[in-house]
Amino acid sequence: MQHQYRVGWWTYALVIATGLVILAPFAWMVATGVMTTGQTLQVPPSIIPAPTTLAGTEEVFDRIPFLTLLLNTILVSTGRAIFTLVVCSMAAYALAIIKVPGSQVILILILALLMVPGDIFIVPNFAIIASFRMTDTLVALFLPSVFDVFGVFLLYQFFRGVPRELVEAARMDGASHLRILTTIVVPVARSGVVSLAILTVLSEWKDLLWPIVVNRSLDKLTLGPGLALLRGTYTTDWNVVMAAGVMAALPMIVIFLILQKQFIASFARSGLK
Amino acid sequence: MIGYLFLIPLLAGLLVFRLYGFGYNIWLSFMNAGAFGAPKFTGLDNYRELLSDSQLGIAIINTFKFAAISVPGVVLVSLLLATLMQYRFRGESAFRAIIFLPAVCLPTAIILVFGWMFQTQYGLVNAAIQAIGAAPVSWFGSANGVTVVVSLLVVYLSFSVPTIVLYAGMQDISPDLYEAATLDGAGPLARFFNIMLPLLTPSLFFVILTTTIGTLKLFDVVYLLLPPVDQSVSMNYGLTLVYYYFYLAFIESGQRGYAAAVSLFLLVLILAVSVILLRVQRRFVHYGEDG
Repeated sequence: MQHQYRVGWWTYALVIATGLVILAPFAWMVATGVMTTGQTLQVPPSIIPAPTTLAGTEEVFDRIPFLTLLLNTILVSTGRAIFTLVVCSMAAYALAIIKVPGSQVILILILALLMVPGDIFIVPNFAIIASFRMTDTLVALFLPSVFDVFGVFLLYQFFRGVPRELVEAARMDGASHLRILTTIVVPVARSGVVSLAILTVLSEWKDLLWPIVVNRSLDKLTLGPGLALLRGTYTTDWNVVMAAGVMAALPMIVIFLILQKQFIASFARSGLK
Repeated sequence: MIGYLFLIPLLAGLLVFRLYGFGYNIWLSFMNAGAFGAPKFTGLDNYRELLSDSQLGIAIINTFKFAAISVPGVVLVSLLLATLMQYRFRGESAFRAIIFLPAVCLPTAIILVFGWMFQTQYGLVNAAIQAIGAAPVSWFGSANGVTVVVSLLVVYLSFSVPTIVLYAGMQDISPDLYEAATLDGAGPLARFFNIMLPLLTPSLFFVILTTTIGTLKLFDVVYLLLPPVDQSVSMNYGLTLVYYYFYLAFIESGQRGYAAAVSLFLLVLILAVSVILLRVQRRFVHYGEDG
């Protein structure tokens, strides 16, 4: 349908205008991050920081254990993605490929659970994690989220598209279900698996409520809640906060730019219901 | 039999963190429970408190106010961006990447930079307002100011996924329809309102439903903009249902039983809004012959 859209000067005007509006907060974050605290207190503010300084960046490492927070974020989102993929792909295999008796009932249960917001479970889940004596651990950050009904449903739809002949041929050859899952179904449905991995990592990366509930010590937190601690009670050194914001946002933005196609496909699939 | 083994991890997890969790929440909602000590049974007291709690009323009004402003905002912004994505122009891939930046950036960083831009004394927004000769606004000191900043942030943080959903919906519309309409003399506006919008209603409905539910669960924006130190502000102008629930359960931690009742109220509210939207959908959403 593209051919009937003629690109005029106003298309460029709109694209540039919206693009700049979206970029403006990022630009201001970077600009503030290389200012001195004094520069952030100018009235009116100077838009272009001159001279630029990395003092704010250095200050970040003095105030919060930034590298620990970053490492925690990476560990927790990787751990959550791995466990989610294992739990969800096994369940989706049982429902879509083996089609165990009662699959329909379980699918309806899964669809019903999709409607229930996870946020209402923070008090009971905190009590459960506390009874396991697991508060203030990295595992506590992702354990309740790996039993992901959305993930099961997403993979179920992809696994259903796997040709039956492939699975049956492998069964004839005596392959176990676990082997078929890992060597046939997952590779054939890999775009669904990749999407679930991306959406899971992003969701952990962005989570704020559950981490601040379950983990109190700073060295067991992720970047999202950790960064918030840089804000002062009465005054805030915004150059320090913004320098930390840039550093914390950068890793995922770089990963996104590398895997742009897969990310955008995943976002489109998060609307698959 | 092996099939059920494959389901065990999922079902065991759901049993603990969802089924038991849900039962625990219901049980707790009949208790007077603090952070320490054994909960005491109080019957329907927590539910009676739901009816008379003015803070809860504020949280409900705020939550709906934020949703009422930001959901149309998200729909309009994502419609505009999805339409722009249809065009082929130079720099198109860069534009696409920019559209998704807010969805991949750490929300805390975005929320904090908005807090900085709208800072009363040294913020960029007030500087711009003063440059055109108007009086600076105390963005976090008034209900309207907070509503503006929160709604802008919600739109900014949530337009990316709706944009790609609407874009995919637009791609599914057959070009023949536009051509036929053009031959019949329909201009761009007529094509937009008579062809694209009706055929886009399934995607639009999905966007409205997910954005509405997302906004009803709003927490990170208000928590980070209005931290629970200055209670007069955070507990009024920016108080949302999830923020209130979190506050009752973990900050003023004497009230976990009541917090459980609030969370069940939130669940009922979200389910009710979903059902209402699904009913509206049946009347207005156009699913083609094969849909």
